[in-house]
Amino acid sequence: MKRWPSILLLVVILVALALLPQFVNAYWLRIATGALMWAGLACSWNIIGGYAGYIDFGHSAFFGIGAYATAILMGGSFGWPFAATVPVGLVAAALVAAVIGGPTLRLRGAYFAIATWAFAEMLLQLVNVLEITGGTGGLSLPPFLDENFFYFTMLAAVALTYGVTWLLFERSRFGYKVKALRDHEAAAESMGINTSLVKLQAFALSAVLAALFGSIFAYWVTFINPKSVLGGDITDQMVVMVLLGGLGSFWGPALGGVALFLINRLIWMNFGDTAFYIAILGAAIILVVLFLPEGIAGLFTRRGKPGNSLLRQSLARLVGRGGRA
Amino acid sequence: MTAGAAQSRDMAARASGQPILAIRGLKRRFGGIVAANDVNLEVRRGEIVGLIGPNGSGKSTLFNLVSGMFKPDSGQILFNGTDIAGMKAHRIARLGLARTFQIPALFENMTVTENLLAAAAEGQWDGAHERAEVAMQLLTLEAVRDNRAIDLSGGQQKLLEFGRIIMRRALLILLDEVTAGVHPNIRKIILDAIVKLRDEGATFFLIEHDMELVRSVCDRIIVMDAGQVITTGTFDEIARDSQVMQAYLGRRA
Amino acid sequence: MDLLLQTLANGILIGGVVATFAIGFQLTFGVLHVIDFAVGAWVILGGYLAYFMSSLLGVDGFLALPVAFVLFGTLGYLIGPIIYRVRNSRTARPELMALALTFGLFTLLRGGMLTFWGFNTRSVDTALSGGSLMIGPVAVPMLRVVAFAFAMAAAAALFFMLYRTRYGLAIRATAENRETAGLMGVDVHRLSATVYGIYAGLTAMAGVLMGAIYSVNPEIGLRYTLFAFFIAVLAGLGSVGGAILAALFLGIIEAVVATYWGSAYSHLAIFATLYLVLLVAPKGILGRGL
Repeated sequence: MKRWPSILLLVVILVALALLPQFVNAYWLRIATGALMWAGLACSWNIIGGYAGYIDFGHSAFFGIGAYATAILMGGSFGWPFAATVPVGLVAAALVAAVIGGPTLRLRGAYFAIATWAFAEMLLQLVNVLEITGGTGGLSLPPFLDENFFYFTMLAAVALTYGVTWLLFERSRFGYKVKALRDHEAAAESMGINTSLVKLQAFALSAVLAALFGSIFAYWVTFINPKSVLGGDITDQMVVMVLLGGLGSFWGPALGGVALFLINRLIWMNFGDTAFYIAILGAAIILVVLFLPEGIAGLFTRRGKPGNSLLRQSLARLVGRGGRA
Repeated sequence: MTAGAAQSRDMAARASGQPILAIRGLKRRFGGIVAANDVNLEVRRGEIVGLIGPNGSGKSTLFNLVSGMFKPDSGQILFNGTDIAGMKAHRIARLGLARTFQIPALFENMTVTENLLAAAAEGQWDGAHERAEVAMQLLTLEAVRDNRAIDLSGGQQKLLEFGRIIMRRALLILLDEVTAGVHPNIRKIILDAIVKLRDEGATFFLIEHDMELVRSVCDRIIVMDAGQVITTGTFDEIARDSQVMQAYLGRRA
Repeated sequence: MDLLLQTLANGILIGGVVATFAIGFQLTFGVLHVIDFAVGAWVILGGYLAYFMSSLLGVDGFLALPVAFVLFGTLGYLIGPIIYRVRNSRTARPELMALALTFGLFTLLRGGMLTFWGFNTRSVDTALSGGSLMIGPVAVPMLRVVAFAFAMAAAAALFFMLYRTRYGLAIRATAENRETAGLMGVDVHRLSATVYGIYAGLTAMAGVLMGAIYSVNPEIGLRYTLFAFFIAVLAGLGSVGGAILAALFLGIIEAVVATYWGSAYSHLAIFATLYLVLLVAPKGILGRGL
């Protein structure tokens, strides 16, 4: 019942996005391409963080793996075509996720967050000192200056990301398994769900999708360095976008990703490259946690009783009713 | 194993008169505390067996050992002919065992409907939506179908946990104080559902402090104390047993 | 041999300063059940306070110590209850929301500092800057010795408060079991404000010392958050006793790796150790409980 309007909405959005290059100039097309990328990255983070409930503070590692796979293989000594490098990045991300996922996913809550953060920073430090990655100097790729190509590639990747997420998490039993283990791992186990396997699958999927955007990003910007593709800021943004949009909701990452990216660009256009954006990110997280714990998407859902946000709880307390009637 | 295969195997085993659960020499200690000290017991097919005993006598530990939440130090747990001692919890569940937890272990951020569907996600998925409807009807949860589990009342949470059990279509169901602290109306709904599932072929093994409930539904009662089974029998037999009184009132008396 | 002794001495001295905020961090986890991402920001704020006091007012950087404690202690006292409320709210997944809140606080403070004070590195002047002390064959900077001594004194005062006063007993009881402490008449809400206040004040004081020893830059905050996490993981989250040992160990690894392999590898070594310890012994390997 709820299913058709959503699919219809998806199709309308896709058609509108496919027609966008007809109406905007190259400058705005670049911004649209960036917005698409962040909507896709936020969605990839939402798979592990929102649906599976494992707060990954090191997701930039997978974005970086994709970017470096493409940069290394397209570069001088290999000279591969772009399309051939993408699968390598995806497989590399999946392998890394599978290897570190086993032990890391045994940790819960804050421990998992710290472990993933440590892993990503470790990778960043490693790339800083390795020769094949060009160290802190980074790597250049053969430039390809077709904005339409990148826009449509990014659009295809985003459509794929949201399509896969929709099918797996909103329409199939896999989604129920993942959400069940998020909410109560022991209970999920007692219902026959192999929680270790299912969370590893979710982790690998979110890693692979992040790597896909890393590959495209590297080719698009033609120059990468450890900070630009492995930096903690990348993970920070994904986390904030998902929180803002609505943790664990389907549309949340798209809303949060596009909104935050546009705010970022607006600040950039008006004030140049400023740290002010970082302060805004921080303020946004605090406000969301305090007043809108279900994010923007939470404003549109009807399920459950109202009264979950602290704001509503405080209001309820003021007028003398419990927050939970 | 598929649910169908488990069921046909169950039919064969039923014909042979083998017990659905047979525990032999089960031991488990936590540091210096012996939580299961050579536990031996059997649960036969189609029975409703009550497990009683004072607090800390090892009842919940026994359930955790059987359902695979803890691993035993030694001993055998034969479930439907398979030794499940030390097996992972999800594999035991797939063999046809389901359980509830002492504190309701719901999927809090999921709706009532989603909780029920999640219970069927590993198992028979075909027709799960229809079965969820039937379960909600049986447990009077239709009005709150789209509410999240965290927003339900305590009684509704107990009902929902039982609903997930219904969705599992299990051969053996372990219930850990399933009616503790609920309204008599809800207690009645759960009791009726237990009897209904038993009539459809399920076996029940339940921890219960409510002696009235034990008396009215249990075919047989097993009494534990200090990690051991001290006696077993019908309610009337147990009520006359001085050992049981001692276990509850204290051995030193 | 002298180089090794020199390295160890430096490592231990820095570890001692790190221990002050690590203890506060552990205490906060024990009482509020929150991992505070903002720890690095409190360090940097303390450093900036010392910088502004020494450069604008022309007073000695060390005079910033009491000011830092009062100023950031008060700020922490006001923020603590908000964190406590989020951690204990009836919303879905309060643990995650509290983690996000401190992460947001860290990001807001970092962004704010970068916006107002820029990316430049500032140094803090004190009367002791430049002097050094000979201990046998080893020359150690005077500043580090005094910073270490001060840090240890602060830690001792905190320990006295925790283990010898009624208030400390209430804190320890709350860390042990919040519900029981609440039933026994401890006002857990007020207590969490005080604990977060003490922690923020101590951390800012450690920041004054760190600012005097190294220099101050908003981007370096993450390094101190890493230190606090490292110690918390090694000691076991919430363990105050283990925190001092873990802090000294951290100081030593950092100094040894930086001296013998180069400073580019010291972060790599810390992150790698952190990650491996988490995988092997997530409950920590030093100390347990308060």
